[in-house]
Amino acid sequence: MSVNTNDIFIVGAARTEFGRFDGEDNELAETAVRGALADCGLAWSDIEFAVGGTNGETKPDNLVSRLGLTGLPFVTVKNGCATGAVALMTARNGLIAEDLDVACVVGYDNHARGAFNVSPARYGLGDWYGATGMMVTTSYFALKIARYLHEHGISQRTLGYASAKAFDYAQEHPYAWRRKPVSVDEAMDADMINDPLTRFMFCAPDAGAVSLVLARGSKAYDLCETPIRLASVALRGRRPGSFEVFSPWLSPGDRTSPSIDAAKAAFDLAGITPADVQVAQLQDTDSGAEVIHLGETGLVAHGEQEAAYRNGEFEIDGRLPLNTDGGLLANGEPVGASGLRQVHEIVRQLQGRADGKQVPGAPRIGFTHVYGAPGISACTVLINEGARP
Amino acid sequence: MGIAVVDSTLFTSVDPVVLAGSMCGACGAHVFPAMDSCPTCSSLDVTRVGLPTEGTLWSWTTQHFAPKPPFRTDEFAPFSIGYVDLGPVIVEGWLVGKTQWTIGEQVNLVLAKAWTHEGAPVFTFGFEAVT
Ligand SMILES: [Zn+2]
Repeated sequence: MSVNTNDIFIVGAARTEFGRFDGEDNELAETAVRGALADCGLAWSDIEFAVGGTNGETKPDNLVSRLGLTGLPFVTVKNGCATGAVALMTARNGLIAEDLDVACVVGYDNHARGAFNVSPARYGLGDWYGATGMMVTTSYFALKIARYLHEHGISQRTLGYASAKAFDYAQEHPYAWRRKPVSVDEAMDADMINDPLTRFMFCAPDAGAVSLVLARGSKAYDLCETPIRLASVALRGRRPGSFEVFSPWLSPGDRTSPSIDAAKAAFDLAGITPADVQVAQLQDTDSGAEVIHLGETGLVAHGEQEAAYRNGEFEIDGRLPLNTDGGLLANGEPVGASGLRQVHEIVRQLQGRADGKQVPGAPRIGFTHVYGAPGISACTVLINEGARP
Repeated sequence: MGIAVVDSTLFTSVDPVVLAGSMCGACGAHVFPAMDSCPTCSSLDVTRVGLPTEGTLWSWTTQHFAPKPPFRTDEFAPFSIGYVDLGPVIVEGWLVGKTQWTIGEQVNLVLAKAWTHEGAPVFTFGFEAVT
């Protein structure tokens, strides 16, 4: 393979431990950025373009007051659960469009305890919707997976397999938040939050930051022994027939999903198929979301998920090691950082230096997927192209 | 004396109870609550219509913890919500009368007490199993 001028690579990656954090949001972000710079031996003054993402109230572009007033252009993005992936896409586009060599991406958040509190007006809904108890994210996840299990003949116990897998990976991951193992039975028998989802089947908002350094063309090989190529990144929104959070109505026709569209676009742009993926990250806001997204991305046929969990396909030595850092279930969801956490984990796996369990056999091709309100999804394909050509 | 409801724009009629949706003159899509444009095809040719009052349970869950404000209730007890396929549109609403349901059940539109305001009940819409 030759290095094309507009090939974009990840040359540096770092994350903080996720969990509760008492300090300033920008402290978290700064820690991640300095880590990513150290990972590839660069200084902040080497960065030509920066993108920061958060779903909170702080201003990412003000990070320059901590990192250095170098005059660089610093773009801020805020796209809910897709914030990290959009930040990555914006940095890639910036490098290509502006003819630059090196960019830095950072995503972070520091959320208060408990489910997100939302106002109906923010979603264009009347006050009645919140007042009557329908504006609850956990009930949305439950309603969606209840329908999916019914349509595809999947057992509720599959949700327990997904939870147990997440916490099993997390117990060996130094940056995960919830590292205590949970058995399938414990997950199934825990307090019911919203039928069919129990307490161990939901992720919670927390704090964390992730940063990546991107380089364009052959410059990547000057900065990193094994740069990981960002083979594609695709963002899609919802079409009629999708089932999104806070929907007082759904259309009765065929179901669509922004995840289906974004995954297909990412695979097509990268010139691969789902069967080529050797390690994957999927949005597992709840156990059911992981089950649905396995089907929607095409990584597993709809209805085959239960057998795949039971056969160990998603374990570290299985066909498709999945959410090998424990995913959202074990890391929680600092919204702005979450998508970049996925990329960080895949980069480390493809470089053979995973922080937790390492996928054996030197995997070359990885995939990430985020999904969130109000019906957006972003996917990436990441490839280890080997030594400098 | 009239029946107090959580939002009168949700209904074309309260007694008997009928939900107000809108129908697109261009593509035929139905939505609920009524909107003044069509989210499917973006047409502005939409008409307010009463929706069917019987349907099939499409999905359900039971809420086992009290939602945060702005949720309002006299006294919290676990309650069910679901999506009901009314034919032209699938509508989300309360499921009343029990807390364990089966997808595919036949249900009917009813009024259900949401909370008490100045001593008088305020109603929202819900669905109950056809017996
Ligand atoms: Zn229309």
